[in-house]
Amino acid sequence: MDEPALIRNAQHGDLDAFNTLVLAYQDIVYNTALRILGDEDLAADASQDAFISAFRALNSYRGGSFRAWLLRTVTNACYDELRRKQRHPTTPLEPETEDGDEMETPRWLADPDGTPEDLLDKAEVEHAIQHCLENLPTDFRTVVILADIQGLDYTEVASILKKPLGTVKSRLARARLRLRECLQSFGELLPSAFRLEEERTV
Amino acid sequence: MNTPSFHDVEQLSAYLDGQLSQAEKTRLETRLQLDPSLVATLADLRQARSILRRTPRRRSPRSFTLTPIMAGIKPPVPRAVPALGWASAAAMVLFVLTLGTNILGQISFGANAPMLSAAPITSEGYGLGGGPAATQPPASDNSQVLPTPEPNTLTGPEATPPGESRLAQPPAPSSTKASSQPVSIWIYVWLGLALILIAGALLIRLISDRSFRRKADSKRNS
Repeated sequence: MDEPALIRNAQHGDLDAFNTLVLAYQDIVYNTALRILGDEDLAADASQDAFISAFRALNSYRGGSFRAWLLRTVTNACYDELRRKQRHPTTPLEPETEDGDEMETPRWLADPDGTPEDLLDKAEVEHAIQHCLENLPTDFRTVVILADIQGLDYTEVASILKKPLGTVKSRLARARLRLRECLQSFGELLPSAFRLEEERTV
Repeated sequence: MNTPSFHDVEQLSAYLDGQLSQAEKTRLETRLQLDPSLVATLADLRQARSILRRTPRRRSPRSFTLTPIMAGIKPPVPRAVPALGWASAAAMVLFVLTLGTNILGQISFGANAPMLSAAPITSEGYGLGGGPAATQPPASDNSQVLPTPEPNTLTGPEATPPGESRLAQPPAPSSTKASSQPVSIWIYVWLGLALILIAGALLIRLISDRSFRRKADSKRNS
């Protein structure tokens, strides 16, 4: 894939060229949105919005990492979605008794966090990670998703979030520590492959 | 074992990512050899990073490729549409012109109609000694020149107060001659043509838009 040529053509309105880029990057974009938002449908919507915005703003792309440029667009789309959710919080429909009291069913009574065993049964590692990510403040979560999950370097993360390098460094350190604490609470839930494996390699 | 300060944690995190300068790196590595708490924290950070790096990747649930509509690209306008539009506009202009000419013709015909009808009326009213001529006093020169509208001629002098100028009387509204002025057939021709051309342009545009969307959808699905 000749990415610069595709970008140039797309900038001249070639939708097929842009769609080739979409196909190449849609998984990265979707995964980023999914980890930030924690909801598959919202992540899909945010990804679609991000690609639409990207096509319309393609002429503002002035070179550099196209992946980072796209991730900035999807991050902004996710922030918009989170702001919208904050303004219009949704509550699940809960069954009520005839007196208007909330009906007590095992589903509604269940602890949303669940025990480690429950989580192990239904969620596996991915859910544990997502759970811990969602416990982080949005800004910290985004930094750690971009740096550790998407593998961007500090400079790219700083340019995506339009934050100083020092802020990225500091947020990443805090986020890692908090994630470590959270993941520790899952104890044996994490498979052995995920335990200190890298310690030997560095 | 001391708990590392946040600055130390930051340094350790950056060290893990190879983001420290050579001097910082050397200094930190010296401290790591002496301080087990730093080693433990580094291990924690490394484990967190390792787990995050191995977060399962999901495939996107659908293709996010854009259709021309989503991208805000408008379907091309068929060449026939502007041509039909201009032809329709021309037909409309002709319609307006014909209508205007017709109305003007009717107005001028309406004004002339009494004069045209004056001769027979005069011949009936005055020449043959009909009602008005017999009962009315001799008309002034002006009133003789002015035409007498047909209804008044028919209704007789009792409808016209003596001395009232006949100029004030309304022109013959039911004059059969005035209303019998034929409406130009071209009015209908131009109007009909304009409407047909507009409808044709809209139809072609609709068909073209649908075809454009169908093609875009099939391209996206393939």
